[in-house]
Amino acid sequence: MPKRMKLTRPVGQFTFGAWALLAVTVLIPIAYGIYISFFDIKLSSFLPPQFVGIDNYVSAFKAPETWATLKITLWMMVLGMLVQIPLGMALALVLHRNLKGSKIFSSILITPMLLTPVAVGLTFRFMFDTDLGIINWLLDNFGIDKINWLGQQTTGIFAVILVDSWQSVPFVMLLLVAALGSISPQLYEAASIDGSSARQTFWKITLPLITPTLLVVVMIKIMDFLKLFDTLFMLTRGGPGNETTTLGLWTYKTGFIFLEFSRAAALGVLIMIITAPVYLLWRRSTKEMK
Amino acid sequence: MLNSKTIRRFAGLASVSLLLAACSSGGTDSKASGEINVFLIPSPSSTSIQSFIPAFEKETGIKVNVSETPYGEAHQKQLLSYQQKAGAYDVAQFDNSFLMPFCQAKAMLPLDGYLSKSSEYDIADFSQSQQDYGKCNGETLGLTLSTEPMIQWYRTDIYKELGLKPATTWDEYFSNAQKVQAAGHGGQIIGFGPNVSWWWMTMVWSFGGHLYDDALNPTVNSKEAIAATDFLKKLMSVSPKGAATANSDEVTSKFLGEDIGAMINYSGYYGSVLDKTINKNEGKIGTAPMPKGAADITHLAGWNIGIPRDAKNPDAAWKFLEYVLGKSNAKAYLESGAAAIGRKSITTDADLLAKFPYLAQLDIPSSSRIERYPQIAVWPEFEVAAIDAVTQVLNGKSDSTKAMMALNEKLKPILAKEPK
Repeated sequence: MPKRMKLTRPVGQFTFGAWALLAVTVLIPIAYGIYISFFDIKLSSFLPPQFVGIDNYVSAFKAPETWATLKITLWMMVLGMLVQIPLGMALALVLHRNLKGSKIFSSILITPMLLTPVAVGLTFRFMFDTDLGIINWLLDNFGIDKINWLGQQTTGIFAVILVDSWQSVPFVMLLLVAALGSISPQLYEAASIDGSSARQTFWKITLPLITPTLLVVVMIKIMDFLKLFDTLFMLTRGGPGNETTTLGLWTYKTGFIFLEFSRAAALGVLIMIITAPVYLLWRRSTKEMK
Repeated sequence: MLNSKTIRRFAGLASVSLLLAACSSGGTDSKASGEINVFLIPSPSSTSIQSFIPAFEKETGIKVNVSETPYGEAHQKQLLSYQQKAGAYDVAQFDNSFLMPFCQAKAMLPLDGYLSKSSEYDIADFSQSQQDYGKCNGETLGLTLSTEPMIQWYRTDIYKELGLKPATTWDEYFSNAQKVQAAGHGGQIIGFGPNVSWWWMTMVWSFGGHLYDDALNPTVNSKEAIAATDFLKKLMSVSPKGAATANSDEVTSKFLGEDIGAMINYSGYYGSVLDKTINKNEGKIGTAPMPKGAADITHLAGWNIGIPRDAKNPDAAWKFLEYVLGKSNAKAYLESGAAAIGRKSITTDADLLAKFPYLAQLDIPSSSRIERYPQIAVWPEFEVAAIDAVTQVLNGKSDSTKAMMALNEKLKPILAKEPK
């Protein structure tokens, strides 16, 4: 048996590097973001920044765009999860049965997850093109009129959800396959001996046992939708107008298009505040899993 | 615990590193070694500028370092650099819409001193309106790097087949588009997507309206602006469906690659006409002045290029600008694929006109009022609000009057933020 290692130096020295890295890359930028949100820093103004207190937060709360974009974010989140979680679950259940060809099937399914969201967004933008896109060409073959996919709010949101789902469903599926794999086969055997139907087995055994994982998936997806950017940016850029602009994209526009860094920082802090309870729930659900 | 020996070793190593770094940075000091750093934004103009560098270096012995940054982050990067007074660039390309923020920040060096002495650049070769293009508060902060008025483009074959002439008024333009559409083609195209503001403001000006008055009060609720917005919506009915989401590049590629009768777009896109991979209608593209509304206006856009105030080597930078954009190389510059610069000697050159017929549209009559991107620092926020309002009208969620009234109210606090 190996000898127990004796620590000759304080533990702090071993974790210092990690803490320093975390401070430089995460903590300091967050603290700086909070700090500048109380000033009026604009990239286009070379005047010394003025302290404005909570003005940026007040104007963010008063701005109709904040609420409109938050509403769009929530819509995308809810609709996206309604698509991605049941679909991911269905695929996971199929794969869990280890049918012939399951491995090839799962490898193919995972491919979208490996692609860059920017490239995916750009490709789908061409596919959704009203005049030349393959989607309208297919619809046209069935006698369906051209749809202006990215030019209307409803279809634009639908397109964003579709593309995001194409990339995210494999992730949901992978997590659920792992959760399904951790359920003891003896439980299913016992249920089968007791004469439980497939539906009963799913509702009484499978679902309760994978619920902690499902909760983690939901939390991750909520956070994903709150920071959804690349696919959305490539597909619609938040348009038409601001009709598919999420709170995250609005923050980007405020910072990098309007060049109003402090206002953008305040919006960023608001996103962080909105995300915090989700993060806490996620921590709780992962603890439950353990 | 770190012992003192280790600390001393580390300090020694750090000192050597700092010394080496200092030596190396001294070595790249642009003034000492006759170097200039040129900041460019990927575009045909940028490509053309770069094609002149080897000859310039050979002739002057000045080394030119180029850094290119995509449009989306170029101006932000420049502003950051100017704020830090880093002296990172000696020459910088910028969009005319950023002239005002740069001017307010006193980021660019006034070039009037150089211009008054330069017979090679010959500022008198530009019309007054184009001399003013890079001016802010009476000072020239940027030379014209491209002259890109919004013009009318049309398909000569379709127009000939239907017996149509390029429109001189907006009513004619709409009527032409209706006839072209009735003949089974796309009537016309402009961008109703993320850049719709470009066409909207053009219409507002052309219909006799303004975006704001001299005291920076918004005036988009005027009857002219409302009529312009209505007309913009009317144009949708004679446009291919894809125009609804098209940006300016897509508008051009659709016009050149599909079967569409006419387009209103910047002349700077003529480079795409010459590109056979984009233009599927070679030899069938004509250009004409933009149709007139109640006011005779020319919406003039295009790049500027200047010398940042913190440039380390402004004299060498001017030499470079004079070399590339001066009179001697003007023809070669155009022929290297750049968007044209509206020098009188270029726009009236018979040989060049035969080769690039659109040059005639760059010879803007003095009677036409020049309108350019609003010279206000809050323009990006103004523009996003305008796009949102116009989109509501185009999507049928609001009517022009209601949307313009609401936009006018929304613009008040935005314009109030404009530094006085």
